[in-house]
Amino acid sequence: MSQLYAFGRALALLRDTWKWTFRGSLRRQSKVFARQLYEVGNRSLLFITVTLGVLGTISVFQVLLQVERILPEFSVVGPAFIQTMIREFAPTIAGLIIATRVGSGIAAEIGSMVVTEQVDALRLCNANPVDYLVAPRFWACVIQNVLLTVYGGLVGICAGACVAHYAWQISWGSFFSLSLVGFPDVISGLLKATAYGMAIPIAAAQAGLETTGGSEGVGAATTRAVVNASFAVVVLDFLLSGFSFLFLFGNP
Amino acid sequence: MIGWVSGLGAALIGLLETLGGLAILAVRIVRSMSPRTLDGRETWRAFYKVGVKSYAIVVMTALFTGAIMVIQAGQFVSKAGATSFVGWAAGFAVLAEIGPVLIGLMFSGRVGANNTAELGTMVVTEQVDALRALAIEPLGYLVAPRVLAMVVMLFLLTALGDLFALFGGGVTSELLLGIPFRVFAQQVIEANLTSEYLLGLVKGSVFGFSIAVVSCYFGLGVKGGAAGVGRAVNNAVVLAAIGIFVTDLAVGLLWNLL
Amino acid sequence: MIRFEHVSKAFGSHQVLDDVSLVVERGEILFIIGTSGAGKSVLVKHLVGLLRPDAGRIFLDDVDVTSLSEREFYPIRKRCAMVFQHSTLFDSMTLAQNVALPLRKHKGLRAQAAEVEAVRRLDQVGMAAEAARFPSDIGDGLRKRVAIARALTLDPEYVIFDEPTTGLDPMAAANVDQLIRALSDDFGVTSIVVSHDLRSIFKVADRVAMLYQGKVLLDGPPSAFRATTDPVVRQFIEGRPEGPMQFPRKA
Repeated sequence: MSQLYAFGRALALLRDTWKWTFRGSLRRQSKVFARQLYEVGNRSLLFITVTLGVLGTISVFQVLLQVERILPEFSVVGPAFIQTMIREFAPTIAGLIIATRVGSGIAAEIGSMVVTEQVDALRLCNANPVDYLVAPRFWACVIQNVLLTVYGGLVGICAGACVAHYAWQISWGSFFSLSLVGFPDVISGLLKATAYGMAIPIAAAQAGLETTGGSEGVGAATTRAVVNASFAVVVLDFLLSGFSFLFLFGNP
Repeated sequence: MIGWVSGLGAALIGLLETLGGLAILAVRIVRSMSPRTLDGRETWRAFYKVGVKSYAIVVMTALFTGAIMVIQAGQFVSKAGATSFVGWAAGFAVLAEIGPVLIGLMFSGRVGANNTAELGTMVVTEQVDALRALAIEPLGYLVAPRVLAMVVMLFLLTALGDLFALFGGGVTSELLLGIPFRVFAQQVIEANLTSEYLLGLVKGSVFGFSIAVVSCYFGLGVKGGAAGVGRAVNNAVVLAAIGIFVTDLAVGLLWNLL
Repeated sequence: MIRFEHVSKAFGSHQVLDDVSLVVERGEILFIIGTSGAGKSVLVKHLVGLLRPDAGRIFLDDVDVTSLSEREFYPIRKRCAMVFQHSTLFDSMTLAQNVALPLRKHKGLRAQAAEVEAVRRLDQVGMAAEAARFPSDIGDGLRKRVAIARALTLDPEYVIFDEPTTGLDPMAAANVDQLIRALSDDFGVTSIVVSHDLRSIFKVADRVAMLYQGKVLLDGPPSAFRATTDPVVRQFIEGRPEGPMQFPRKA
């Protein structure tokens, strides 16, 4: 039951964030926004590169092993892999990484501010915490998540291509074919990236703002942020995959 | 230019230092895990807490994961009309790769982060020093039970979660793809994925150990009050996630080479 | 007997202890006093190996504990117990379980027997009724008593009290003073009390040593402190905010 209330509060926070954005948060907090763009984006680059590189490598490796055993028809592997990357893996894995790294970071930061009463001090100066703290981080996350998803997808595809080329002698040309990739795939991937980019900062900021009680509280809030943000990514992935399947790909 | 290079160098040295510290801690933990020094009460408590905290989210994640994999496989399959491959494709992906990784990531968030926070708070409130002053070794008393609990639990949760994922996939295949549940189940069984299932279990155990060591390392190393605990949890989940992907690659490669 | 010989310790650029030499006689109650940040806690933590000195030597009954390893400190810690400033009871256990822990680990008692003995020891500090409660449920003063009971479980010959009365109301503080006095009178325990509570000093101490700017400024019985003409010590005793005393910046 309390989960339902928490979800309701999250939606309220989302609504408030939009409200304050329309009242000009980003203009007022432009420096914080720029800083957050750097924090979320640049500082996640290494993590995204390593993870999607590894994932691309191992996925193609496993698939080629299986395909070799069952029906040695390699020409479809490249295009299918690229399509799946764009549609599913790049957004979702990048989303989980951002949920972990940025989610815990935002919650830790805001949570520390809450327990040291800095957020209360903000309120006393008539500065709204959502306007001041949440909105810049929200939009930084949305923008950077989409960019990092695209970047991560490229890294993963290249890593997979390297494995295919050097271990199975598949030509670059036959791997890098966009024959299976269509408009709906790209839309699906971008939709997911945007949705994750919105859900993660809301989950994290909510956990941070609801922190109670000293160092134990900050630890608990950071944990909650990672779990909620990651789980939100999984649920959104399911919902958007289903939505895409039914409506974007024209399935009966 | 120099600044950029020196920054990279500093980051690299920091990374090596952390990896070295993790390796040393891992060895010390394993050495302190004899039945004599393991505290029975703390070990039971750790098992209970880790299990209770994580089974709900792992089960739910697993259900969704299976569903997602079936949807993805389904898109290929309905285009090519090869509906008999759905069970094999989704089953393979879930058991060998996506299942253990996603379950591992969720476990890292739910249990790993919590562990770092708990140990970190104990360090900040001097409880770890109090243990040492009572001549009780923190590694044997606090850390070893948690590590054992996390390894065993993630192994069990992966074993269970994989099955839930396949169940979720089956339901989705019936509702969304129009392939009945029992047909899906049949395909999965006929695909003979025991080897992939075992691979998943091995990955689960390795993930459990790496999550445990990383979370204890950052928890015990907390400096600086409440903000320090938050930072430690942040670092712990990030490194644990990287660890999951890197060990995923390593175990996968080794498995296929043997 | 405990001996500190020319002990120095710095944290970064802040020299906390500067050539400190001090002797603690068996069976006496020594108060180490000074302003916040003067290095009192730092000094006593050396005795149980939670800190190691940059220079100098520390002896516990003629055993050189200066460079012992963590393992080698275990027998020392059983003879010299420490009660921390914030009590540091283990949050996840009841009060009885807190006191029972060292009994289980070092006296080989099984869980049941240990808890029975723990309740008996809690009774000695007047806390037997609360034995099944958790540390977060009781107040600071009561937690302090339980922490003392836990420290005494291994029947140590030496006990270090780190600011035992700081933050306690006057009755709770008097209670702690009484306990420390009884330990010495009835059991011959040597107590080192880190404090800046003047009332406790003049009620309980056998000897007082004052740390100021990393050095021992004065070392003698309470009467010597009362009668001193040293301006810094006088400022401390009279509790005047203005005077020759310079407050060290916290590292």
